[in-house]
Amino acid sequence: MKHFLVVFLSLLVSSVFAYIDEYANLGEQASSIKASGKVFHESPSIIRKMHPELLRHKRDKTLRKGIRTNNYSLKGCVSCHANKNKTNNQYYSVDKKGQFCSDCHKKVGVSFDCFSCHRTTLREGLL
Amino acid sequence: MNKTLNRRDFIKIMNVTTTGVVIVASGITLTTFASVSEIPVTNKKRWGLLIDTNKLTETDIDGMVNACQQEQGWGAEIRSTASQKPGWIKKLKVKDKTTNKVSNLALMCQHCEEPPCVDVCPTNASMKREDGIVLVDKHLCIGCRYCMMACPYDARSFVHETLKNQKEHMPRGKGTVEACTMCVHRVDKGETPACVESVNSEAVIFGNLYDESSQINQTLRIVQSSQIRADLNLNTGVRYSGI
Ligand code: SF4
Ligand code: SF4
Repeated sequence: MKHFLVVFLSLLVSSVFAYIDEYANLGEQASSIKASGKVFHESPSIIRKMHPELLRHKRDKTLRKGIRTNNYSLKGCVSCHANKNKTNNQYYSVDKKGQFCSDCHKKVGVSFDCFSCHRTTLREGLL
Repeated sequence: MNKTLNRRDFIKIMNVTTTGVVIVASGITLTTFASVSEIPVTNKKRWGLLIDTNKLTETDIDGMVNACQQEQGWGAEIRSTASQKPGWIKKLKVKDKTTNKVSNLALMCQHCEEPPCVDVCPTNASMKREDGIVLVDKHLCIGCRYCMMACPYDARSFVHETLKNQKEHMPRGKGTVEACTMCVHRVDKGETPACVESVNSEAVIFGNLYDESSQINQTLRIVQSSQIRADLNLNTGVRYSGI
């Protein structure tokens, strides 16, 4: 019985850490914003749940009405949540394994199609 | 996710979030932010081009094609055959059979006022903005290519291969149709299309056709100009003089 408890507890603890780790890869700029204590997304849970709708709404505004503000633009997401490869100074694609977008989408088992057309890395000097 | 979140709370939070975005974004850059309009485009404007074929040299046209490729990121499709490769803007020679006069044209999407591509599109992906710029909403495009068949100017291309490293302002992908956007991303910032900028002479003029003080409007009042296939009554936004 005791053994089971130990196994169970260690599993529980490791899964908690795994969970935290999963979202640790926030991306360069997002991490530095978070570290500075500034609040970018007032409620990450809303963003987590609603970002498809927010992006869809924004894409129609941009494409059909020419409103090119940064709020909820995919470019904005990518530029904050991209990571740089320190050795060659190049950005990783956000849809690559272990990067911000793909990490979470993989976890919840939802495929996404943004990046068959959209650029996956930010161009430096943007935003 | 807070299950008890009601609409009002949500809006409140969204407002705060928006302010947060503004503060952070303006700290990072002021230049791009200043020129961004929050007001939808209207039909008070109609963007157009006037191409003077007498002034436009062949080198100019090559320069225009090149500028378009650089700006929008097309032309490096290695796995497509010659007939599959995209061509947003083309060099065209037209010859008057009687006099043998050869004119060189740059032909791109003519941004028709009555666009057949929009008429035939089953998904509303082909669309015309209020200011006359005709675009493909690739989110909705199913790649049926009806629009390519319907366009009298052969202005549209289909992407046949998986692409990478697109321009950040120009998403492009396999299975969707694309065409000249009149550099809408630049126009919305108050700039001129890349092809227009690449020509040193006044051979290509860009502007608001409705604005009586604009160079394009004033020039169109004095010179003789034509629309290609004017018989189709599409009222194109791209006009030509000297042919
Ligand atoms: S030129 Fe062709 S693609 Fe452009 S608006 Fe006219 S019909 Fe549509
Ligand atoms: S190919 Fe795309 S844009 Fe063209 S008609 Fe079909 S759905 Fe519409």
